[in-house]
Amino acid sequence: MTAYIVRRVLWGIALLVIVCALTFVLFRVFPTANPAQLRAGRSPQPKVIHEIERVLGLNKSLSTQFFDYVKNVFLHFNLGYSYYSDESVRSLISERLPATISLTLGAGVLWIVGGLGVGILSALRRHSLLDRLAMGGALVLVSAPEFWLGLIALFLFAQDIGQWRIFPGAGSYVGITSDPWQWFTSMIMPWFVLASGSAAVFARLMRGSLIETMGEDYIRTARAKGLAERRVVRHGVRSAINPIVTLFGLEIGTLLGGTVLIETVFNIPGVGRLAYDSITTADFSVIQGTVLLAAMFIIVANIVVDIAYAYLDPRVRYS
Amino acid sequence: MRSIRVPAATALAMTLVLALAACGSSSSGSGNSGSGASAVSTGGFQSPTTQALTGGKRGGTLVVLNESDFESLDPGVAYYNVDYEVVFATQRPLYSQEPNSVEPSPDMASGAPEVSSDEKTVTVHLREGVHFSPPVNREVTSEDVAYAIERGANENVANPYFQSYFGSVEGAEKASGGPIKGIETPNKHTIVLHLSEPKAQLVAHALVLPLTAAVPREYAQRFDKNKPSDYANYQVATGPYMLENDAAGKVLGTGYIPGKSATLVRNPNWSPKTDFRPAYLNEIDIKLGGTKAVIGRQVLEGTNVVENELPAQSIVKLAAERYKSQLEISPGAGTHYIAVNNKVGPFSNVDVRKALWAALDRTAMNKARGGALVADVMTHFLYPTIPGFNQAGGLAGLKVDYNEHPEGDAAVAEKYMKLAGYPSGKYTGGHTLVVVGDRGNPLEQDAEIVNQTLKSLGFTTKFTLVEPNVMYGKYCGVPKEEIDVCPSVAWGADFPDPQTVLDNTFNGKSIVSTGNNNWGQTNDPKINAAMTAAETINDQAAREAAWAKIDDELVQDAAAIPFDWDKQANIEGSAVRGVGDLWDSGEWDYNYSSLK
Amino acid sequence: MSAGAAELLPPGGGGFEFLGLGGDIAARSPLQLFWRRLRQDRIALASLAFLVLLIAVAIAAPLVVSLLGLPGPDVQNLNLTDSFGSPLGPSLAHPFGVDQLGEDVMSRIIYGARVSLEVGILGTAIATAIGVVFGTLAGFYGGWVDTLLARTMDVFLSIPILLLGLGVAAACSVRGCAAGLIQPGLSVIIFLIAVATWPYMGRIVRGLVLSLREREFVQASRALGASDARIMFREILPNLAAPVIVYATLQVPLNILFEAGLSYLGIGVRPPTASWGQMIAAATPIFNTAWWYMVFPGAALLLTVLAFNLLGDGLRDALNPRSAR
Repeated sequence: MTAYIVRRVLWGIALLVIVCALTFVLFRVFPTANPAQLRAGRSPQPKVIHEIERVLGLNKSLSTQFFDYVKNVFLHFNLGYSYYSDESVRSLISERLPATISLTLGAGVLWIVGGLGVGILSALRRHSLLDRLAMGGALVLVSAPEFWLGLIALFLFAQDIGQWRIFPGAGSYVGITSDPWQWFTSMIMPWFVLASGSAAVFARLMRGSLIETMGEDYIRTARAKGLAERRVVRHGVRSAINPIVTLFGLEIGTLLGGTVLIETVFNIPGVGRLAYDSITTADFSVIQGTVLLAAMFIIVANIVVDIAYAYLDPRVRYS
Repeated sequence: MRSIRVPAATALAMTLVLALAACGSSSSGSGNSGSGASAVSTGGFQSPTTQALTGGKRGGTLVVLNESDFESLDPGVAYYNVDYEVVFATQRPLYSQEPNSVEPSPDMASGAPEVSSDEKTVTVHLREGVHFSPPVNREVTSEDVAYAIERGANENVANPYFQSYFGSVEGAEKASGGPIKGIETPNKHTIVLHLSEPKAQLVAHALVLPLTAAVPREYAQRFDKNKPSDYANYQVATGPYMLENDAAGKVLGTGYIPGKSATLVRNPNWSPKTDFRPAYLNEIDIKLGGTKAVIGRQVLEGTNVVENELPAQSIVKLAAERYKSQLEISPGAGTHYIAVNNKVGPFSNVDVRKALWAALDRTAMNKARGGALVADVMTHFLYPTIPGFNQAGGLAGLKVDYNEHPEGDAAVAEKYMKLAGYPSGKYTGGHTLVVVGDRGNPLEQDAEIVNQTLKSLGFTTKFTLVEPNVMYGKYCGVPKEEIDVCPSVAWGADFPDPQTVLDNTFNGKSIVSTGNNNWGQTNDPKINAAMTAAETINDQAAREAAWAKIDDELVQDAAAIPFDWDKQANIEGSAVRGVGDLWDSGEWDYNYSSLK
Repeated sequence: MSAGAAELLPPGGGGFEFLGLGGDIAARSPLQLFWRRLRQDRIALASLAFLVLLIAVAIAAPLVVSLLGLPGPDVQNLNLTDSFGSPLGPSLAHPFGVDQLGEDVMSRIIYGARVSLEVGILGTAIATAIGVVFGTLAGFYGGWVDTLLARTMDVFLSIPILLLGLGVAAACSVRGCAAGLIQPGLSVIIFLIAVATWPYMGRIVRGLVLSLREREFVQASRALGASDARIMFREILPNLAAPVIVYATLQVPLNILFEAGLSYLGIGVRPPTASWGQMIAAATPIFNTAWWYMVFPGAALLLTVLAFNLLGDGLRDALNPRSAR
């Protein structure tokens, strides 16, 4: 088992370095702009541009730049400095990370509760009106673009511009430490919007999985033996939940790298938005820092899921 | 000055001689008429030219909501309106303007600048008793002003206009942050600029720029050694307000949190006896981020809150319809026009340029921007509040057939296309135009209208919208990229002198390989020569006439295609008695605004 | 985008069993059974009909627009805005209202279908092709080929594709990159989708092939001396057809949403080409007053994606009669 874990983790680290290299090459080969040019763009002097390039280390060979970068990241945890605000990338990211984590974790909780709850209920009351409505609703939510749902939510419920002024509008996010109530209320709509798609998926999956499980022989046996229905259901849920857990891990990982749409719509100062802003202004260090972070989340989530799987299913360890 | 979002226009003097008031008084708007400011309609709304400057209530905190973050708060770097309102509340350049005036008043200076008869020396005497804010605390001397200007040449600071306006100071061309030969400080309260060319008028006008705001050398030097300089994060103030800092002087993290907020508090070392500003407010809390549509609502429905940037279009409409007393319209906020490649491609032919000018529906362009309330049809390149505007034709501009019909005139367009060598009246060459516009709203809409117009002339286009700083920095400002049409360029003067509107943007000598502001690469030897001659004219009336003539020639050459003279709308909450700066697009001036 | 992974990775990781193929020999061919089951699923049929109609409308967009008496999607008309430049809402002449340039929204939605369908279908097709090829090779040969390909898929799956997509699309926005191979607009998006999503299909196909490899008919073919290529083409690929189609159909809506997301962020087809995501983006600054410009394109997206999802669901159920319904 440990051998498997070690192998997995080593591959994870290798993946991270590969992604790092790929990003690096990608953004240098296809630069969105020359950051020295953009920054010096306020001063129309070519010698200034060369100087800025020198200062930012952009005139060294690509491989030198890359090795310097990798060394800094993996040995010193130094992710470099933003070309525009001169803040260290690490502090930029750590400023923005709480918002993204708030968003993702809150949404994650909603997925589980909403998705599983609805899924289980629907499975148990198969073909009832509740089932049809729930599954229908789930399907609609899965099909709607999340940024559009966000805009609709704002249009209907935002305190400043909505039809029924209930929740704080876009841009009202504050850190949990400065004003917990404001933090909570400003996140409600983003949580629901972000969770809706995935919760719907989970609900459908849970429903299918549970229905199948409940049809299994051992469940029938348990019932025949006189076990209370509730306990029977619990047995069923416990085995039906496996794939859901897998998916949850993968989703969280991917999500942390992809909250940019919701952060844009609701104006939440998170890492996703930081990544987007840095890409459009070719702020290399920030781009790489954020991409690396997102990749790290995905990779870690994958590792955790794989290890959990290996724990549950010994066959996997030897593949 | 090239503007990224909104130009920072400092609309100033049209006076014949630089007769400056001794100490700015509370006189209401004066001297605006010749530059056309009063001819511009502000829709009956409050305007900087008609507002009262005194009589405000002391105290209170003003909340400012801004979507955009600052570009730079370093007085030696700041260049855009988004920075100016903070910089001009905390820093005192040698001269500055009252909100409703076009005349510069002595700020750190104690009187008018003395110009030598050979126009090669400018002498300024400084006020006494002005102190830096904590932690520096000591009195400001001429050495500090000298250092402020000198650091502009330091590559770690890289002031964007140093060469343009101070390049004629002896030794400035070779300067890189060290002492400059031509800047002399004979005593603690006098500074003398020795010029190598007779450009004293231009330099004297340029003393309103924030580069001239004093910076203490012994305190700032260590920050200016960093690449890039981070003096902005530790800056001290000379104005009525300062960015909140800690005991060591650090502003970053308290007075300024990038992307989040800036906080201005009273400068304890500022003395009202040395300043003409009333400084009613106790504190100014600036909150960054959000979306304009939401910010606008929060401001209009709020009390002690303002927005200090151009509001969203829908908000301007809302204010004009339902919050009339909370809306201010300021003329002379800059221009928007279409830069076309004069050097290569189809538009190097003057008749093709005229055809586009004729074909473009300028009223539609302005409607997309928000209508007549915020945009006037642009007919030539100098704009209202700039001296020489009236001489260049005023609102109507030069009477040529392609300028006559702002709604667009297909017949005239066809005529010029035929003159250009396309007998069908439509382009038949094989070149696909590369068009790069600005993604923002409403520039995006304007760019699409231009795209359609180009298509109606028979062109095929490769049309892309990008972020503004990428548009300028990577495409339109780089001649090598050979972009054919840049429909979203904007310009505003650095201070109200016609040279600052036309020189950098249309002089062949101003073309540089990157960061180029002569986006069309206009390079007509006659016009270049006229500009060189006009640069050194020091008599105000003659100067205005010369530059107005250049404006005419640019129109006849159709060097670029104009469409909008900006009027900026600004909004305030119901409890704010806002005073806007005419020279800064009417944006709210923290030194004069107060709460009701 | 992330929501889709759940739909595609079946519980248990891609084994063949759940599809219920093989095993007992049925009296009718699996294909016939499949059609019969599908025909009984009315919702899936309705979705199919809707999609066919949508494709027809997209192809014949100019005709449809003129039949409805609407102006073209790029026809600007600033007279349809008020004195502040705000667009007018739904009316008889313009049932879905107009945008800030006076362009008719309904007309743009009809033309926008072209973009969404092209990107969704083409992008998915390319990704599927790549995924099938690599997945088959990996599953069939095993060993180091498998390891190499599986690891490659891992790398692609670890890259936060939305961010990289933004980077590439932004970089190639004006003139294209890679010597003109990647042109701004549709081709960049399709390229991105293909690159980003082929591993999903690759993984699934690999799992399927792994199971198939051990089946009797494959063993038999091999015993008879068939070459690898022959086995792959004659025995394995045909059996992949059905599940691949199912997954591809379920992948299309995800790619449509991906394109919408990219367009919303400003990368994507270039104006004035109408794209539903881009229309929503353009509507965002004014949506609290001009709601029609935001609501209708989003509804179009919703309906299209929903139809693909329902069809995909129906196909999957038709393929697997044992699945719970």
